[in-house]
Amino acid sequence: MIQDKKAHKYGMVIDLDKCTGCGSCTVSCMSENNIPFKEDESDKKDSITWMRVYKLTNGKSFPDTQITYLPRPCQHCGGKGDHGHSPCVSVCPATATDYGYDTGIVSQIYTRCFGCRYCMVSCPYHARYFNWWDPIWPEGMEKYLSPNVSPRMRGVVEKCSFCYHRYQLAREKAYYDGTHEIAEDAYQTACTTACPAGAIIFGDLNNPSHKVHQIVKPDPHPDPLNRDVVGKSRNPKVFRLLERLGTNPKVYYMSEREWVRKLGDNYLDGEWEKVKNHYGAASHE
Amino acid sequence: MSELENKTEHGSVDGATEGAAEDPKNDTGLGLGVIFFIVAFLICFLSGWLLFPKLLYSKHEQPFNFDHALHVQETGDCESCHFLRDDGTFSGIPKMASCLDCHTDEPMGETRDEAIFASEYVAKEREVPWYVYAKQPDCVFFSHAAHIEAAGMDCVTCHGHIGESTTSRPYEENRLTGYSRDIWGKNIWGIKKNSWDRMKMDDCAVCHKEETGHQGYCFQCHK
Amino acid sequence: MKVDRRSFLGLGLGAVAGIAISPVGAKLTDDSSIWTQNWPWTPVPPDGKISYDHSVCSLCPGTCGITVRKIDGRPVKIEGRDTYPVNNGGACLHGIAGLQYLYDPCRVTTPLKKINDRFEPISWKEAIALAAGHLGRIRKNDQAHTLACITDTDQGSVAGLFSHFMTAFGSPNHFVMPTLESWLALTAQTLHGKGYTLGFDLENADFILSFGAGILEGWGSPVACFKANSSRKQRKAKLYQIEHRLSTTAAAADRWIPVTPGTEADLAMAMCGVLLTENLFDSEFAAGFKGGFNRFNAMVQQKYPVEKVAAATGISAADIKKIAIAFARAKMPVAIPGKGRGDGAQSLKEFAAVHTLNCLTGNVNKKGGTFIKPVHDYLAFPDPVLDTAAKDGFGKAKLGASVQEMVTNINQSADPLVTALFVYNANPCYTLNDPSQTRAAFEKIPFVVSFSSFMDETAMASDLILPVSTFLERLEDVPSRAGLANSVVGLTRPVLDPVFDTRSAGDTVIQLAKTLGGDMARSFAWNNYRACLEDVAAGVWEDLSGNGYALLAEGPPTDSVETSFAFLSDNPQTIYPQGDYALTLVPIDNMRLPGTVPAASPFAIKTVSDRVLKGKDVCVEINPDTANGLTDGGFATLTTPTGSARVRVNFNEGIMPGVIGMVKGLGHTFDNKYVAGKGVNIHELISPVIEPGSGLDAACGTTAAISKA
Repeated sequence: MIQDKKAHKYGMVIDLDKCTGCGSCTVSCMSENNIPFKEDESDKKDSITWMRVYKLTNGKSFPDTQITYLPRPCQHCGGKGDHGHSPCVSVCPATATDYGYDTGIVSQIYTRCFGCRYCMVSCPYHARYFNWWDPIWPEGMEKYLSPNVSPRMRGVVEKCSFCYHRYQLAREKAYYDGTHEIAEDAYQTACTTACPAGAIIFGDLNNPSHKVHQIVKPDPHPDPLNRDVVGKSRNPKVFRLLERLGTNPKVYYMSEREWVRKLGDNYLDGEWEKVKNHYGAASHE
Repeated sequence: MSELENKTEHGSVDGATEGAAEDPKNDTGLGLGVIFFIVAFLICFLSGWLLFPKLLYSKHEQPFNFDHALHVQETGDCESCHFLRDDGTFSGIPKMASCLDCHTDEPMGETRDEAIFASEYVAKEREVPWYVYAKQPDCVFFSHAAHIEAAGMDCVTCHGHIGESTTSRPYEENRLTGYSRDIWGKNIWGIKKNSWDRMKMDDCAVCHKEETGHQGYCFQCHK
Repeated sequence: MKVDRRSFLGLGLGAVAGIAISPVGAKLTDDSSIWTQNWPWTPVPPDGKISYDHSVCSLCPGTCGITVRKIDGRPVKIEGRDTYPVNNGGACLHGIAGLQYLYDPCRVTTPLKKINDRFEPISWKEAIALAAGHLGRIRKNDQAHTLACITDTDQGSVAGLFSHFMTAFGSPNHFVMPTLESWLALTAQTLHGKGYTLGFDLENADFILSFGAGILEGWGSPVACFKANSSRKQRKAKLYQIEHRLSTTAAAADRWIPVTPGTEADLAMAMCGVLLTENLFDSEFAAGFKGGFNRFNAMVQQKYPVEKVAAATGISAADIKKIAIAFARAKMPVAIPGKGRGDGAQSLKEFAAVHTLNCLTGNVNKKGGTFIKPVHDYLAFPDPVLDTAAKDGFGKAKLGASVQEMVTNINQSADPLVTALFVYNANPCYTLNDPSQTRAAFEKIPFVVSFSSFMDETAMASDLILPVSTFLERLEDVPSRAGLANSVVGLTRPVLDPVFDTRSAGDTVIQLAKTLGGDMARSFAWNNYRACLEDVAAGVWEDLSGNGYALLAEGPPTDSVETSFAFLSDNPQTIYPQGDYALTLVPIDNMRLPGTVPAASPFAIKTVSDRVLKGKDVCVEINPDTANGLTDGGFATLTTPTGSARVRVNFNEGIMPGVIGMVKGLGHTFDNKYVAGKGVNIHELISPVIEPGSGLDAACGTTAAISKA
């Protein structure tokens, strides 16, 4: 196990107050990762979008309605206690998905996957998609496909890889330059660079000089209320989706609006009041 | 023997004609069965070892012979033609532009291959459609920079002594998978004597385990 | 010895044993598992050297800088160009999906001529000869003025070449499609005189009062607007969104002020009144007020008292006053007009009234304010050589103030007003209200030439298509023209050779003029479009070709401008939604669906919500309060004075009761299964209403009824 002190933990924080739901991240992702399209993509259950933008509402009626958009890539869960036992990784019977302890990125190997879709069932974030059909591009359109990501075949599961190929290219460049260090701007995902609102920040959560670390301020200690939760943000505006499950996602969300933060989990009556002011170590130091 | 006995018991029921042959006292069939067994065994065994590999792979000749030894002699190393680009990616098989650093549409030597190169490719401004022996499938990401620059490996460890070859051997393509035979290795059992004999995932993993202490995570080599 | 069953048994066992200790089993197991992972029809994209090209996206008036990643010269990805003065990194989804347009199933791949309602491919030589023959005959018969031309803009050298062509040919009938830029220029012209346009320094303003401007829906230069919105959040600058619906912009705003659709102009007038009554206008700037400022003041007080407007708009009188005062008291307030993307049917009265608010605050030509910018003419076309035909024709009256007026006039006239028509980069047969009128007018024109990259509705209605290379395959200067504070001209450069037998429209126009010969040819002395561009843009060519852009003006303009209130003082009529139905249908601009040219890419369609498009049905938004008897997701019949359509219902608490919202950009009828044949074109349900004073269609909504289908 390569779990030395220098291990990266790539993660993301998405500013929901800046996000405009424009869809640039989704399209940039599809274009970067050779994601195909079909004649009808309005059945969203079988529409492959590694980066999916959800529209959320506060549920109030006119004129007190509010909406916000929530982009959802793969959350690259660290699993309970952040030990790398992501929900999907722990159930894959084919070892077609594994947890990279050196990067914190959850892989998906299409040629290894045999399409049982167990991982899709176990993913609490609907981040995984199944190829019900072979990818077909209109005549000539396959010419824009990128060689850095393998096109998938029918019968396998796919998901966001945090643009791992960009990490690979950054590493090659670093090896060539003899630096062996990957600068913050040398590895950025396609959604991050595309976002016209600058709402997505990507980097190494373990690296205090990276912006994502500075915003999230992850708590390295387990949450005393729930020992499975590690890396809770110490920023009161930052939250994770279904954080109390202990999946320990590496995608964080940020919002000034309390109703948005509250939508990050399914709180029972009164629960939100108990947890809303609990922000990791800052509050229990 | 239970099956034979069964058949004997039923013999009388089945009919008189079969009765004689099924008579246990007159049993020469077993001897013949042994002979048949041996013959079939030998045929299949030998086919499996000798004919099967021939059938499994289709052979393609390279567009023309390439003399690696001569080029290494002229340029001095592998990196003149197979180099890392400035962004750290590997250039692979040289494009025509690289060849034209030295070559023109006038043949430099007197071999037939040189003439084909000059007239069919340089003059017609076509890339040479080389078959790549070491071509990995699309799902593989292989970083030459990591191995050459970071690990300090030489070309021979994986590619063998191709730099000393004077002719191009035929490219053998697996009819089922479309992979180059070099991935599985020349030996049909996949037995390797040298580090460069096989290039399957397990071979990568063995070396990674030895050198880095870990066989690596999936995404390290897959895309 | 007899061959019996035992012999065969021996044979079989021998074979099995032989195979078993040969490598066949192991090898075939391995190979067959690999085989199942590598279907031969799954493409394997070829690898190669990575390179990057800089260019400018001209899919919309936003003109963002882009970087195209290529593998061995093959473009594989478009991203926003860092440090480009418009977008500074980041790109919108349409630009990023730009490569899909190269291989769009609807691309016109070769010149096409319509024979018996079917298009037949012809060569470029034949096509040019055909067009030149037609045009030559028109000129010869002294009918030069009956050639009309529709372009998407009047800026840039390609539009310039069309204009040059029309002048040299002898026709005044060059029309421009209604875009945000054309509305802004018209507003500036109405209030400040010709040669001006408006820009808004949203990046620095501290109070943005938006009259339905969808700054997060594609208004202006979308990426620049997104960036301004993000910086606004950090700067804590306010955004108040006045809109009938909780759009993305309204959701991002500090305050959403729902307003009855169609009454925005009245609201702006009433707010002007508040500023005047409360003496909150800038006296220094008021020195430049001309054309009946006092008359305007009196008219506003009389016709737009706050209480009366409150009833019409649905906003309380107290709120109107409070908002107006908050706006006037802000340090750097900007009011922005242009509902949705600000293109298509809008109202000059509304634009003028909103801009008057800016003028009254005096935050004009200052940082964080409204810029009244001179239209930068960086192009120097030589004067065309005018022969008698040209002089005669060009002197004739224009067939209306807008494309819409021309269409109406053609349909109403018994004479053939237009005998030939050029359409460049526009799709009037789809984007104008009640496009059946446009199609009818096109039917009456004997020779319609479409300069289009795609077989869209207008190309289908034409007689000859001269296919244009896409923005990735052509050279072109693209001036920023969408309410931006800075004036930038970018250079779109070919990042690959044309995929099909297409050309730049500039080259085609030059070739056409040369083929016409005579003085026409003399007016077009350039060998090709590139030579023309280098010549007419000589002043900025060094920057253009070197950096990929030239900054024409930055920061507040220094000119002092006069402001004339003449237009508004006459109290032009407000165009309300027409018809007698109880509800109001309004178009929705959705960032993910382009409303004009080109239509959406497959990727863009893929991102559209299933609450907007479900299968082949469009979903209309309606407040559950208004939805009598309708069910969420169910089918309904939507009826307007112009037509009716089968739609699905999408309950939305974020839309005013009494209003039905329908997205623009669907209901295309061309042959592209990924994009067309989905939903309804909302323009088919709205009839145009020409606004007196502007001559443009101002019907940005209509009354409607909806019932369970």
